[in-house]
Order: sequence, then C-alpha cells, then structure tokens
Amino acid sequence: MNKIKFMLRVGFCMVGASIVLSAIASDDLKSDEEARVVQSSGKQLYYDHGCFACHGYNGIGKHNLANDVSAIMTSEAVYLAFIRARSELNPPLPSQKMPHYPASSLSDQQALDIYAYIKTFRDTPPKVDDAPALKAIVEAAQQ
Amino acid sequence: MTSKESGIVSGKTPSEAGVELEAERGGISRRGFIGASVAGGASTVLPAVAFGVENSVTETSRPASTPPDAKKMAREVGSSSPPEPLATVRRAASDLMVQVLRDLEIEYVALNPGSSFEGLQESLINYGERPNHMPEVISAMHEGAAVDMAHGYGRSEGKPMCALLQGTVGLQNASMAIYQAYHGHTPMIILAGNDENNFLKVHTGEDIAGLVRPYTKWDAQPKTLEDTLVALQEAYRQSITPPCAPTLVVLNSEIQKEEAGDLQVPRYSAPVVRSIGKSQATIIAKALLQAKNPHISVGRLRSQAGIDHAVTLAELVGASVDSMATFGPMSFPQRHPLVGVGQDKNYDFHLGLEIAAADVSITGPHLKSITDRDAAGIGFGWKENPNLKRRPIPDTLIAEDAEASLPLIINAIESQLTASLNSVIVERIEKHSEKNRSARINSLHKAIEKKRPGWHGTPVSLARMYAELWPMIKDLDWCLASPSNFTGRHHRELWDHDKPYSYLGQYPAAALGYCLGASAGAALAARSRDRIVINIQGDGDFNFMPGTVWSAVHHQLPMLTIMHNNRAWHMELMYVQYMAGVRGRGTDRAHIGTTFRDPYINYAKLAEGYGMKSEGPISDPDEMVAALQRGVDAVKRGEPYLIDVLTQPR
Ligand SMILES: Cc1ncc(C[n+]2csc(CCOP(=O)(O)OP(=O)(O)O)c2C)c(N)n1
Ligand SMILES: [Mg+2]
Repeated sequence: MNKIKFMLRVGFCMVGASIVLSAIASDDLKSDEEARVVQSSGKQLYYDHGCFACHGYNGIGKHNLANDVSAIMTSEAVYLAFIRARSELNPPLPSQKMPHYPASSLSDQQALDIYAYIKTFRDTPPKVDDAPALKAIVEAAQQ
Repeated sequence: MTSKESGIVSGKTPSEAGVELEAERGGISRRGFIGASVAGGASTVLPAVAFGVENSVTETSRPASTPPDAKKMAREVGSSSPPEPLATVRRAASDLMVQVLRDLEIEYVALNPGSSFEGLQESLINYGERPNHMPEVISAMHEGAAVDMAHGYGRSEGKPMCALLQGTVGLQNASMAIYQAYHGHTPMIILAGNDENNFLKVHTGEDIAGLVRPYTKWDAQPKTLEDTLVALQEAYRQSITPPCAPTLVVLNSEIQKEEAGDLQVPRYSAPVVRSIGKSQATIIAKALLQAKNPHISVGRLRSQAGIDHAVTLAELVGASVDSMATFGPMSFPQRHPLVGVGQDKNYDFHLGLEIAAADVSITGPHLKSITDRDAAGIGFGWKENPNLKRRPIPDTLIAEDAEASLPLIINAIESQLTASLNSVIVERIEKHSEKNRSARINSLHKAIEKKRPGWHGTPVSLARMYAELWPMIKDLDWCLASPSNFTGRHHRELWDHDKPYSYLGQYPAAALGYCLGASAGAALAARSRDRIVINIQGDGDFNFMPGTVWSAVHHQLPMLTIMHNNRAWHMELMYVQYMAGVRGRGTDRAHIGTTFRDPYINYAKLAEGYGMKSEGPISDPDEMVAALQRGVDAVKRGEPYLIDVLTQPR
C-alpha cells in the first residue's frame, strides 16, 4: 500500500475510533491500583502478542517506543486507530511489517492495556563519556 | 596415462580445459580415464563416462539399493570382525594422495569417519615424517559441519581445505553446506569415498557426484591411482581459479588400498588466471591518471596480495575508495585514509574491482558462466524472476578477474606517471584523507547516537554487545566469522575492518546452520596464525549442528562464541506474526513453531557437556561486559569459550 493511501486509511479509522473511545476513561482518571493492574495485564499481553519482536522487551528495538518517541502513541485514539488499520492483503513476499489487529484478535480493552504498559517504558542511555566502551571507540577513531 | 589423456590440461583456463576434455571424450579410448565433469559441456556425456566400461553392464544394472548382507551390515554397525585382510602394501596408494594434499599445502581435512575412505584416513594419520600434519584430520560431528568448516576457512584464507565424506550418505548430509559454499564463491575440495567393492551398497553409487553436481564447479571419479592424483591437483586448481567454488573428487575405496609401486606424484602447475589485456590496462591507467577526481570501488578480491595491489593502485593515482570490507572478506582496508567519499563526490572516472562502477568494472568471471551443470534447474537466483527488479548488467563490465588484472594496470600507471602529475596526486591524497577522516568521525558520532538507546536494558542490547567487545579486541588480530544480519550489523560502524578476514560476510545462500561450523573453520585458520575468532551466534542457527562445539574444544580453536540467545527463530516469528496480522487472526499464537520455550535451552550447560568453558545465561549487560573480558582472555590463550547472553530479539 502506498503511503498516502495508508495515511488516509489511518485517518478514516481514527474518526471512527475516537467516537468509540470517548466513553473509555483516560489514563489520568485511573487510580494507582487500577493503573498497576492494567500495566501488568498489558505487560503479559505485550509478551503474549509478541510486541517485543520488533519493539524490544523495554520499548527499544527495531522500532523504538520508549520515552514516548512514537507519534502513534500520542493518544489512545490514534494508537487504536493505527493498530486497526494495518491490514495488508496478499503480500507478495514475507514481511516484518507491523501486523494488523482487528477487534476480534485484540479487544479495545486489551489494546489499551498494552498502550498503558508501553507508556511506562523509560530509557536512560548513558552519555558517551559515561559509557567506557563508547568513549574508547570515539577516542580510538580520533587518534 | 598422461595428463593430456586424462583431459586435464595444466595451465589452461577451466573452460579451455573443459573443451579439450570434451574433445577427448569424443575419442575412442575409454579405458581407465577420469570421468571428469567440468564446466563447458561435459555433463551430457557424464553418466556413461563417469562410470567407465570396465564395471560392465551387469554391475551397473543392479539396483543401487540392494541391501547389504548381514556380514557387511554387522561390520558397518561396528559389531563384527575387521574386513578380510588385505595384501600388505609396501607403499600405500593413499599415502600418495596425502602427499599431493601436503604438496598443495592443504592444512586440514575435516571428516566424519566412513569405511569408504579408511585407506585414506589411515594414511592421513600415519603417513610421512610428520603424520597428521598438513593436512591434519579435523573431527566433524556432521558432514554439513565439515563443509561449513571448509567454508569458513576458505573465506578467511582464500584457499581450500578439504572435507572428506562417506559416499552417498555423507555427501547428502553435506549437500546444503556445499550449496551455500557454491553461492559463496568459496574455494574448497570435497572428497567423497565411494565403496566400489559394494561393501555397503546403499552408500555407493555409480555417479554420486551427481547428487551435488548443480552446485559444484567441477568433479571427477578417477579410475586409477595416477588419475586420482591428477584429479586432486585439478580439483585444487579448479577451485582456486575464478570463479572460485567447491570441487569434488570421488575416491574409489579400493584404489586407496592399492600398492603404489614406484608411481611418482605428478607435477602441479598453478592455474593461469585470466586478466584484462595489456592494451585495456593502458587505457584504464590513462583514464585514472587523467581524471581530476578518480574513484575506485573494491568488492571481494581473492587474497591479501590482491588487496595490496588495490591499495597500491589507489595510492598511485590518489583515488578515493569504496570498500566492501564491512560486508564480507577480501576487500579494501576500511580505515585506509582514502576510504570514503573523498574531497568531492563528482567523480570523473569510476573504476570497479569485482563490483559495478560507472565507467569500467572488472568483475568476473561469475559462476553464472557455468551453465551446464545445473540439471536440477535451481537457477541460483540468477534466473529472471518477474517479481524482482534486477539491476541491468552495465555495459562497462569487463568479465575478467580483477586481482589478476591489477598488476597490469599498476605497471601501465608507473610507466605513464610524471613528476608533475605525481605532485597533484599527493596533494589530492592529503585532501581526501582529511575529508574522509572528519566524515568518519561525524558518522561515528551519528552511529553512536543510535547505539546508546537500550544500553542499560535487560535483556542485553545487541548494539551494546558489539560496542563492549571492540575495545577488548581492537589491538588483537581478530576475525568476525558470524553473519551479522540478525544481530544488527553494529560492527560495521564501530569496528575497524582492515584485514582480508575481518568480517566473513552474510550467509551466502541465506541458509541457517552455517555460523558455528564456519566460525570453527575460520578458527582453524586462526589457530596457527595467532588470531582469534569472534562468533556472535544465533540460537536457531546453533541448534542445527551444536556438536561443532566439541570439535572446537577437541582441536583447541581460539573461538569466542557469544550467544545471541533470543530464544527464537526470531526472523520467522516476525514473518508468522505478519501473516497472522494480514489474516486478522491475532499474533498470540505466533510463537508456535518459532520459539524455543518450554523448556528454554541452557547453552552454557550444553557447551560444558561438550567440554567447552562457558558461562551464562546472562541478561544483565554489566555482567555481560565482565564475561566478555573473560571470554576474550580465554581465546587469547587458545581456548574456545562460550557465553550465553539473553538478548533483545533484534
Ligand atoms: C536451512 C534453513 N532452514 C530454515 C531457514 C529459515 N530461517 C530463516 S531465519 C531463521 C531463524 C534464525 O534463527 P536464529 O539463528 O536464532 O536468528 P534470529 O532470527 O532468532 O535472530 C530460519 C529458521 C533458513 N534460512 N535456512
Ligand atoms: Mg534466535
């Protein structure tokens, strides 16, 4: 599918999804306890559905998610619309593209649990000077 | 019989030799000749030829699958007395076979033992003043591993070692590895014993080379000792003559046990590798010298000598250079000051050495030129696939060997170079070097920005694994033998690939199970050269032939294996996930058949069982750093070592 078509499709689904989602409570309305439950269920779902395959176990992988770097993770609505919109039929070759998740394979609640879990990913990489190996590599190259 | 009669013509190019061989076959003498099948039209006549008339019609018409009688079978399974005593020989025929390999400086013969070559094996371990040396017997747990070892060795050294296989069964076990080596343009000599006494008929065949003919360059099934010796030399010559590839000699089990009498080892003559002509060299030299901004792209050459010549050429004309050293073996040193875009990207003359280029590329000859052995119609990916867009072959291509052509170009340049031209070139080299250096540092900083994320993560980030290794090995002589396409290829930007064997490249036929064997083969080369081998090893790949761990211990190979243990055939997991997604059926079952769960595999324990020092599983990156240092220290002492690291999937 070309990019423009794809964006149109995402946009179309987003409109639909935001109507559905307006009824679902947003993150900040959840109690701490509720959030913890959601995250642990999200953690299990993130593993069971193999999200780690491309996004790593902590949101660093082929496609990074940690530290809120993904534009798709800006809101639950955008995220949900995105994962519902990825159907690609009759692929000519094997692909590592993101799978399509219709509601029959992942309910809204499950999807949002995963969303909540992804939102917890934080990555704090060291500065080059604080990582001896990286520092050594840079110094050797500068010699 | 003379070598002429055998159809093997010293000093000829493979295709020329093939033509003469074919002509010979048209003749009447079929007694005792070599049934050699070579590129150039032999395969159609081969079945009759390879078999030879002496074996008579009744013998050939017997079904090949006749079961062995009880006595023969009992011996093969090891529960019986030795074979009928053979006449004692004064000078064993197989000793001469070993002498030929020794004279060719074949360092190793990897084998999984088999009765079809017991004569040769006995000679390998007992013949000569220094028995079991040049070549040395290497124990392989699987014939595929034997060939993978030869593959890793051949890629790192640019010359063949042998894999010795048991008849039909050994050859079939080895076949995929041979297929991969063929795709990899890797020189190696396959020897397959064939038990012509039909001790075990199911291991015997009339033309067993036919099992792998589509993906070997040349084969022969000699019928006399003299022809066997000539065939071994020809197998060597064919395998190192471009296009380099595996060759095969089928060794008659009975000839190995014969009395050699006064037979002498025939004289070996090196191949004549085809190069460009002198006039072409003069034109290329002129173009390089007249250019204000020449550029040279270097692909995979054949040896250190070829690389040295490429360096000389680039320095003589002050060309900026593209290197393929981070993609595979035998290319231009990556950190040579001329490597990079140079002062200016607008090149007015672009020369390619074993790689396409805008103006002239000297590349070839390719395996594609072998057109008549592919009876299975495999096509080797060279047949047109309407789904795939292929780059058109540029009309600037000269299909001759670049390495053999370089001395001619260098000579022509030296005779055309004037002092004034030289001073311009010296100035240009300085500018290139400066530009390339700052570009290198900029790109390193950019690359590091991409390596830092996930640095402290658990399981371990692959970028960190490569980064942490580099300071530990950079001052050693090292070889990265493992394909890195599943581990992020982080070495490309972080490490310096300045030796012919710095990185041995990807899976040539994308065929799994190669990495451990190939690393062991590279470590066979490393062992006597004060070098260490790094093997960053996928778990899926590992489990095809884990027994190679034992071979590495047994032969004390300086090989550091670091498991990229993502507990999956991860590549395939992603494909199945995508397919489930396309069909809208969810990805929660995609782990079925794609992962190593229930139970997890403990690689450190497995290695320990084979006798290898090991540690893990490690999922904490800081713990990994300490373990890596212990591993590097061990291989420096010549001891193989395995570290099981739980890694991020990619
Ligand atoms: C001989 C062979 N069998 C199967 C495949 C299909 N295949 C491609 S990648 C892969 C999995 C590789 O697993 P591993 O080495 O652990 O690497 P990972 O993808 O997990 O990093 C398989 C089985 C192949 N390429 N070759
Ligand atoms: Mg794996």
